[in-house]
Amino acid sequence: MGHSCDDLSNLRQMPHLRAKIFRLHGEIRDKIHRNPIIDPQSGTIFDDLSKNETLLAPTCCETILRSGSVPKIIVWGLLGTGPDMGFAIANIIEEGTGHVKIGAPKEIFEGEARVAMTPDSAVQLQKLGYDCVIETGAGAAAGFDDAAYEAAGVEVVKTGAALYKAADIVAKVRQPEAVELKRLTSDKTLISFFNPAANDAGMEAAKASGANVIAMEMVPRISRAQKMDALSSMANIAGYRAVIEAGNNFGRFFTGQITAAGKVPPAKVLVVGAGVAGLAAIGTATSLGAITYAFDVRPEVAEQVESMGAEFVFLDFEEEQQDGAATGGYASVSSPEFREAQLAKFRELAPEVDIVITTALIPNREAPELWTEDMVAAMKPGSVVVDLAAEKGGNCKLTVADEKIVTENGVTIIGYTDFPSRMAAQASTLYATNIRHMMTDLTPEKDGQINHDMEDDVIRGATVTFEGEITFPPPPPKVAAIAAQKPKEAPKELTPEEKRAEEVAAFKKQTKTQVGLIAIGGALLLAVGTVAPASFMQHFIVFVLSVFIGFQVIWGVAHSLHTPLMAVTNAISSIIILGALMQIGSGSFLVILLSAISVFMTGINIFGGFMVTRRMLAMFQKS
Amino acid sequence: MEFGFTTAAYVVSAVLFILSLGGLSGQESAKRAVWYGIAGMALAVFATLIGPGSGLWLLSLILIAAGGFIGWQVANKVEMTEMPQLVAAMHSLVGLAAVFVGFVAHVEMGRVAGMDDTAKKALEGFAALIAKKDGVEIAILKVEVFLGVFIGAVTFTGSVIAYLKLAGKVTSKAEKLPGGHALNAGAAVLSVICLFWYMGNGGLLPLALMTAAALFIGYHLIMGIGGADMPVVVSMLNSYSGWAAAAIGFSLGNDLLIVVGALVGSSGAILSYIMCKAMNRSFVSVILGGFGGTTGPAMEVEGEQVAIDADGVAQSLEEADSIVIIPGYGMAVAQAQQNVAELTRRLRAKGKEVRFAIHPVAGRLPGHMNVLLAEAKVPYDIVMEMDEINDDFPETDVAIVIGSNDIVNPAAQEDPNSPIAGMPVLECWKAKQVFVSKRGQGTGYSGIENPLFFKDNTRMFYGDAKASLDDLLTKIS
Repeated sequence: MGHSCDDLSNLRQMPHLRAKIFRLHGEIRDKIHRNPIIDPQSGTIFDDLSKNETLLAPTCCETILRSGSVPKIIVWGLLGTGPDMGFAIANIIEEGTGHVKIGAPKEIFEGEARVAMTPDSAVQLQKLGYDCVIETGAGAAAGFDDAAYEAAGVEVVKTGAALYKAADIVAKVRQPEAVELKRLTSDKTLISFFNPAANDAGMEAAKASGANVIAMEMVPRISRAQKMDALSSMANIAGYRAVIEAGNNFGRFFTGQITAAGKVPPAKVLVVGAGVAGLAAIGTATSLGAITYAFDVRPEVAEQVESMGAEFVFLDFEEEQQDGAATGGYASVSSPEFREAQLAKFRELAPEVDIVITTALIPNREAPELWTEDMVAAMKPGSVVVDLAAEKGGNCKLTVADEKIVTENGVTIIGYTDFPSRMAAQASTLYATNIRHMMTDLTPEKDGQINHDMEDDVIRGATVTFEGEITFPPPPPKVAAIAAQKPKEAPKELTPEEKRAEEVAAFKKQTKTQVGLIAIGGALLLAVGTVAPASFMQHFIVFVLSVFIGFQVIWGVAHSLHTPLMAVTNAISSIIILGALMQIGSGSFLVILLSAISVFMTGINIFGGFMVTRRMLAMFQKS
Repeated sequence: MEFGFTTAAYVVSAVLFILSLGGLSGQESAKRAVWYGIAGMALAVFATLIGPGSGLWLLSLILIAAGGFIGWQVANKVEMTEMPQLVAAMHSLVGLAAVFVGFVAHVEMGRVAGMDDTAKKALEGFAALIAKKDGVEIAILKVEVFLGVFIGAVTFTGSVIAYLKLAGKVTSKAEKLPGGHALNAGAAVLSVICLFWYMGNGGLLPLALMTAAALFIGYHLIMGIGGADMPVVVSMLNSYSGWAAAAIGFSLGNDLLIVVGALVGSSGAILSYIMCKAMNRSFVSVILGGFGGTTGPAMEVEGEQVAIDADGVAQSLEEADSIVIIPGYGMAVAQAQQNVAELTRRLRAKGKEVRFAIHPVAGRLPGHMNVLLAEAKVPYDIVMEMDEINDDFPETDVAIVIGSNDIVNPAAQEDPNSPIAGMPVLECWKAKQVFVSKRGQGTGYSGIENPLFFKDNTRMFYGDAKASLDDLLTKIS
């Protein structure tokens, strides 16, 4: 794995190294900016790459020597500056690049086409400071060839074993198999679907290896974690694909048409279970033009269903409402009576609907039977049932997992369990983005170093083994997924006596404050009156009364007229002009000058104030 | 002319002024009320000009006409968004006039005191009034003059600074000289010392010294108060200009001055009180500037701000039946009121219920938003006060926040440690969907994070309010 200087010409042809050089170029630029380099021979100071553009143009620093996993760069062909310069830069680079590697192996599960890393997500991961590595052909089934990865700066290794050796963090899609778990060591982190609730063997193996394992399906359902909720992104695809598969097996149009050749009725679609997959199916079916009905045991989703354009099927059933918030937004088991009412409703609908898509799953239980054999029998020939719960036994007992069957009365039942994989390009893109967001949370400093913070709700919730311990199941998250519906507190009814007592108390209190204020005010007035002469007291009484009137009048002013009030009070406070007018006629030049200025200024104020008030008031119009 | 006539005229003016203020209780009666005010003022000036104690009435008339011309021009040209500056600037004129009138009274006092009895008898006008006063009355007169000048000087520099801040000519941040409130306190103590000194010798020096101190207090006090507290500041200065007029009225023995000064003073005081109450802060804490220290760590804000573009907003508006718009200072800054009004017209034409929710301290002047909306011809009967509309938010489909921040901050109710805890706010987050038109991700005046922006039903509509609304208007026909 080492290249010597002789390999230079080959190196230049290796796309992933090329991309890396471009990235390093940016790093060098930042570093030089912080710590300028002085060339010992010419004395030139290099501190700004845009200024010394030729120095580190990407073509100049294409020389990369690798020793172990730490790349060393030697600037080659430095336009007349000596080799010392190159080593100076080489040293800078060496300091900062003990990069941690994220790798995605090829999925070994039969028929799995998805991949946990796409060229796009690799670019983002590199921005977090990680190096990326991928097993050759890992993305081929999803439409990403090795060349695309290399162009994004990802190193391609030949075998799965080599990948597990090279990568510090392994990201994959399917639950890992025993052979993959054996490759884990204590310094590695695995991010994958893991199904921890039914995978004790897997957890024991992971624990024995000492690796940290993050199970993507365990990401808690809180708003902050939505961006890494892989279950939702996969369910979204499954819902879409279910409708497409149904359409593929359904012999008619979805949308109703009136053509010259006759009238085509629209297809009727029933979606059972309005989770993420159900809602995606509803959206797809309605946008294809079908009349869509939807049912869910949680009545609070009716609004979401209707917002997607479907009609919510309500049951005539009285039961205490199930609060989805108590179960983290997932459905739970319903009572037998409720189930009966539900099945009766479905029986009623069965002869009418053309396509049924069932998505009902209860976490960690077998799928409930919702579409019984007699309902299938009641359906029209050519109808289609898509059972998204096939993996967990199916919502219809006739479903055969991973297969498509046709019943005696001509109803097609599709039990595929690999819908997301059937749309591998889309699924890989979304899943890789989920992984990338998970890495963002694991790398708060964006320094290419993983910080497995077990205090963080999301990371703690998703981690199933950590440092040789099984950490599943996680404690309940500190933040509830959906705000619990608070029981409404009835306002306390007051008895007439209590009301009366309250009123009396309020009245007494008011009286007390008023009498108190009057007494204090009166005492103050008396105190002033005893010392001040009569002429002052006359004016003082006028003053106090005016303040009193002012308070009474101003409280009545409408809030919306506060600005005009300010303008008008401003205008009338120019009443001070009277003082100036009285003084202007008496005395010296100074007196006349000061008074004249005052008259002039208040003149501005009077006219300006009243005018602007009038302008404002004229604007207030009733509709 | 007879003294009796002047007094009678003053009584009529006083009544007219009271009617004028009382008429502002409703939009329609207000249009009449302003004429009462104008009539009152005209009568007062006329009565004084022909009444006892005035002279040089021709000069006075010319000066009033000249001043009036300028005032008229300014009032006709001013943009409604510039109202706060204008009001502040006009307050400064009243303040300065009060200072001058006070100084003149001082000069006259000195002149009269130096005369013998015969000369005093020959005096006319204001000097004659002084001549009649005995020892105690002169002492009281001195206090009155002193107070009038003090309040006038504080009002003057305070208003000038408020004007400069509102016009954006000095920074609207709270700035204090080193020493802070100690400087103000020192200047106030100096003024009190000057008062006793002045009472003792009646010289010009203590009066001038006090004036300088008061000018400094006005400057420093208002410099220390930040942008969003301006409504309180402007109404406080309004109040001061009234009290200054009243104090001058006492020294001149003019009852009309006292009445009007008291009316204006109490009006400003009430406005300040209402503003402070709307922010759940005490008057003192506003005047002393800045928000106080918190009692604990602020609540963590969960979630992220989700942006939306004009298409998304337009679509939601199309689907909504009831819409509430919450304008703030940002709308005034962006001059977006016309676009808001146009949006309102179009939405109302589609039969949607559009209303406005106005927080008492929205903007930089009490009632600022109302005036801007009125200017843009938004009918006033769809513009609601906070108390009128707060209960309606749960039934509202879309709430649009345009350039407001702290007045829609749920932390005031949810986080007891928040600096604005307990401040009444518009509960717009209870609406089904909230759009926030905002320049960027910054915090409001108080510098606190707004959890509203992180709520699940909130979408951020980034950009200059006017540009954003322009964009939005192209999507809504």
